[in-house]
Amino acid sequence: MTFVDLTFFVCAAIAIYAGWRVFRTDSMVRASFFLLISFIAVGIIMLLLAAVYLGVALFFMMAVEMMVMALFMMMFMMNPAGLNPMNMVHQEKVAMGIGIAAFVALSGVAVFGDFPSRPVPDGLDPVVSLGKELLGNSMLVFESAGVTLLATMIGVVAMTSHRGRFGEANEGSVPPGLEPGGDPAGKPQENDQKQQGHHHHH
Amino acid sequence: MSLISLLIVAAALIGIGLYGAFSQQSFVMLMMGLELILNGVMLAAVGFWAMTGAGAPEGQLLTIIVMAVMAIEMAMGFALVVAVYRGKQADMTESLSGFKH
Amino acid sequence: MVETLFALLVVLGMLAVGSYAVAVIDGAAGAVLGRTAHSNVFLLPIYQCASFWLVPANTTEAPDAWAWRLAPVLYLTFAAMGLALVPWSPSFIPVDLTTGIVLWGALEPLATVAIFLHGWSANSHFPLLGAYRYVSLGLSYILVSMFVLIGVSLPAESLQISAVVESQRELWNVIRQPLGLPLFLIVGLGISFWGPLNFADSSDLAEGTSSESSGRAKLLWQFGRAAMLVAFSAIGASAFLGGWLGPVLPGPAWVILKTLFILVLLLVLGRLLPRLSPDRFLTLAWVLLLPLAFVDLVWAGVEALP
Repeated sequence: MTFVDLTFFVCAAIAIYAGWRVFRTDSMVRASFFLLISFIAVGIIMLLLAAVYLGVALFFMMAVEMMVMALFMMMFMMNPAGLNPMNMVHQEKVAMGIGIAAFVALSGVAVFGDFPSRPVPDGLDPVVSLGKELLGNSMLVFESAGVTLLATMIGVVAMTSHRGRFGEANEGSVPPGLEPGGDPAGKPQENDQKQQGHHHHH
Repeated sequence: MSLISLLIVAAALIGIGLYGAFSQQSFVMLMMGLELILNGVMLAAVGFWAMTGAGAPEGQLLTIIVMAVMAIEMAMGFALVVAVYRGKQADMTESLSGFKH
Repeated sequence: MVETLFALLVVLGMLAVGSYAVAVIDGAAGAVLGRTAHSNVFLLPIYQCASFWLVPANTTEAPDAWAWRLAPVLYLTFAAMGLALVPWSPSFIPVDLTTGIVLWGALEPLATVAIFLHGWSANSHFPLLGAYRYVSLGLSYILVSMFVLIGVSLPAESLQISAVVESQRELWNVIRQPLGLPLFLIVGLGISFWGPLNFADSSDLAEGTSSESSGRAKLLWQFGRAAMLVAFSAIGASAFLGGWLGPVLPGPAWVILKTLFILVLLLVLGRLLPRLSPDRFLTLAWVLLLPLAFVDLVWAGVEALP
């Protein structure tokens, strides 16, 4: 077994294990950093495959993305620190079935498929060839991705702004009930407390 | 490291990602499932590029496009989470029964 | 095999000697500028190390023990990876990656993750506030640094750091792209949260992310910060001051001299620049520094046109 093989198997094991732990940890911050570990392991495998730019690009893209992901987790999830056990899932059996079926089907393709063996030629510089492709033959594709990203930015700002065409974004917003269809949780109580406080003042 | 082992690793990542995307109730966790699927897709794409593509640059281009898709998915996902939270004060998929506020 | 071992030794040596140099220069700058009491600047860092080493470790209620132990190690590792990318001479480059500039660009966001983990995992208020503060500022540092580095790689027509050094044979990038180095220095102070840009571990948060750590863990964290500053100076020397290029002296000597020059510049600036409040600096970073980075990139692009 060569050094490359050994690194590959270690990274593959880390990628899969960390990917699995994402959905099996109580803490949301830990979940997003497990996903980051999975991405970094895949990035190292890409480096082993001589995709020098893609592997390193994956590192920096995912480090920023997962950092932002962790912040959103802490903003929106209950139990962000993971100090209590938590598992918020629905249709878990079906989901597991789908996951296993997809794994079996895709690895079936991998094992029984007949793929030609045409490795990267020796003299090829992957970074130069990628750059020439991005700004040469596939410039339209690349630029479309850029324009789509710009459209995303505009759309995201429009979606998240406090005020829209129809007034405040959180107008008439009511928290969900504690049980399905029940009274809204939290908010009326706050109003009660406010009124009580008012009374105390007088 | 052969194409078969690479593709099996990619399949495992896609499988776990599918499980996450279908089972998680929270939007952000659901997005993590999607990211994991795309992780597997990128690994498979680079594997094919390196082992069967004879260094065709389109293989790497595909991975770059998947990265752009990931960035778009993240941004739109977070915007959706913020919008849903403003409207419903929750981040669960169940709370989103329609697109009216 | 021998070469790999030698490269490893050089990187480890740079970590140790560089961090010691940071402490000495910082102490000397403080003494010269009259900000600190005179004392033996060469022995003081060693005394401080010894006292950190002997202080027992602190713990908090329900910390994320793994992340808390790991975060300083990760930060130091990223600094070491940065140092490994520095080319010493045309023939001696510890890690000569064709995408070295991108890898350095990846180390900065990864360091952000390590700093966040360090603050978050202690499960305490001040560290968490420091961590949040750093993340909100860190995004702007990363963007500025990335644009500046793209500007450097344009005339080299390569993402390889040795190619960037080679492209400065006629004219150093500090003159060719005058905005690059000042922006890069500001980012350097930010990434290692040093001097006026020390928002993550600042005294208004009772030392922020490291307020709950003590003893050897804190020593490791301070070591990591100093090492990151050294790595930043060495990369800056290669990207803007022509790395190993220079008359008479051999290449590695020039690398050391230029790294020391940037280090002294950073530490003196760290002592002299005024401190802004974090929110005002955030505005400054997005409204002034980022557009300046765009200008630098356009400048580099126009200059690189044949």
